[in-house]
Amino acid sequence: MSQMEVTPSTEQKWEPRILTFCCNWCSYAGADGAGTSRMQYAPNARIIRVMCSGRMNPVFIIKGFLSGADIVMMLGCHFGDCHYLKGNYACNARMTLLQGYLPAIGINPERLYWDQISASEGIKFKETMNKIVKKAQELGPIANELGVHAHGARQNRKARATVEDIFD
Amino acid sequence: MYYGRATDQLTQERGECGGVITATLISAIEQNLVDGALLIKQGESIYDGIPFFATTKEEIAEAAGSLHCAPTLSAKVIKNYLGGARDTRVAVTCKPCDARAIVEMGKRNQINMDNVYMVGVNCAGTMPPVPARAMIRQFYDIDPDDVVKEEIAKGKLIVQTKDGEHKEVSIDTLEEEGYGRRKNCQRCEYNIPRMADVACGNWGVIGPDAGKATFVEVLTDKGQKLIDTAKAAGAITLTDAPPEGIALREKLDGIMVKMAHKFMAAQFAKFDGDNKFEKLFAELDRCILCRNCIINCPICYCEECFTKQDFVVKKNDLPPEPMFHLTRLLHIAPSCVDCGQCEDGCPAEIPIATITHMVQTELQKTTGYVPGRSMDDPIPLSEWLEVQE
Repeated sequence: MSQMEVTPSTEQKWEPRILTFCCNWCSYAGADGAGTSRMQYAPNARIIRVMCSGRMNPVFIIKGFLSGADIVMMLGCHFGDCHYLKGNYACNARMTLLQGYLPAIGINPERLYWDQISASEGIKFKETMNKIVKKAQELGPIANELGVHAHGARQNRKARATVEDIFD
Repeated sequence: MYYGRATDQLTQERGECGGVITATLISAIEQNLVDGALLIKQGESIYDGIPFFATTKEEIAEAAGSLHCAPTLSAKVIKNYLGGARDTRVAVTCKPCDARAIVEMGKRNQINMDNVYMVGVNCAGTMPPVPARAMIRQFYDIDPDDVVKEEIAKGKLIVQTKDGEHKEVSIDTLEEEGYGRRKNCQRCEYNIPRMADVACGNWGVIGPDAGKATFVEVLTDKGQKLIDTAKAAGAITLTDAPPEGIALREKLDGIMVKMAHKFMAAQFAKFDGDNKFEKLFAELDRCILCRNCIINCPICYCEECFTKQDFVVKKNDLPPEPMFHLTRLLHIAPSCVDCGQCEDGCPAEIPIATITHMVQTELQKTTGYVPGRSMDDPIPLSEWLEVQE
């Protein structure tokens, strides 16, 4: 996730940053397929491989937003194809819960996208990626919503105190 | 649904509205239905409520009466000090938020529900102890330490001093001035504890019985057992409630729910609109990471808190990273029963209960889950297998 945490320099033009979690067995292979077939797609995504979409803790996604991701994507297997049988059902339930949670804390729920891409669907991977980058450009930087808590901004803010300061 | 009252003259006088709860608990212990009762008794003053486990008749009689200025939650006491009622059979008197918290903890296997007998009591709200003292000084013009008894009736807070003097002020007047009930009590939609085994209260008692009898609604088999035991022992007498009484109780409940919705809209409005995240964190950034909200919360039960991991929240950073609050909210908000314990315990006076309740109402739109309503509703994320297959 530290790839996300590159502080954007002010001179550079803003480019959407997309954090993508791919399941090892389907979507990661799908992304691999898109690569080996030399398909062209937008370079904004940072892909993190997880063993199963059911491994995703919703906290990772929120952490992703706070680390500066404009859109967080979760790609897993189709229902019934899960290597661990039921992981993607768990993922689906968690993402549905997050869909309700994000607006409650003031993050646009459209910034979370989850889909199912199988190992053979390189084309779908490419199309999804292009679609999401376009959507990210429409939504604008996440910093608009997080304000002073957006990744770069928060680091520059002076911390009130640390525990070491108090006890030194 | 019945009108109940204790047969014993002394219990009638010590308890409120006929002393039916005191009499039921005493007979439950005497007939060996339960090992003891978890009650709140008055400590130093009326602003001090001490939860204790009563095992004798005298101890139960000691706790008779209500304490509106001591918002103590008994749900977590069962888990922390009575071993989650694994080996102890406990009768517990509970406000609706206590009952809902116990139900939520029961679903999480923190409390053994088979051993818990919930005697619910109607509650229209409790008051925070320290502001209540200031309020009594300001609006009643008496020394708060002189108050020996308080009561909420007909929308008024009535206090009684040592000299036997009665004074009353309408709660609406108090709340307009920023005093009165706790914020979460103002928002509370649950005034009758319908998730408990027995729901008692003075609402709906009309005619000559008014003030002398208690409205008793039996809701579960366990509740029926409790009432039957007391009746068989001759401790209480029951008469059927008249339909007008039942209708009045429903009407009062309806009025309170409507008021709660109004308060909810007013209190949540502060965080609505654009820049919601920043508005939330303008409050939450006062956090000093004391973890009182986590310690007090009846829903939080993990042995090792997730927020203590370094990759979630960096250690020794004040104010803590937003991840601390966001993780806490994500974990407990789907099941928040709005008991207000987090807000009561917060030294930085962050309106955490308001924020958590707001997130809960938002999540309810997606999940449809009403926390603490019944043991049959599965908690969100525990039911996905059944739904998808």
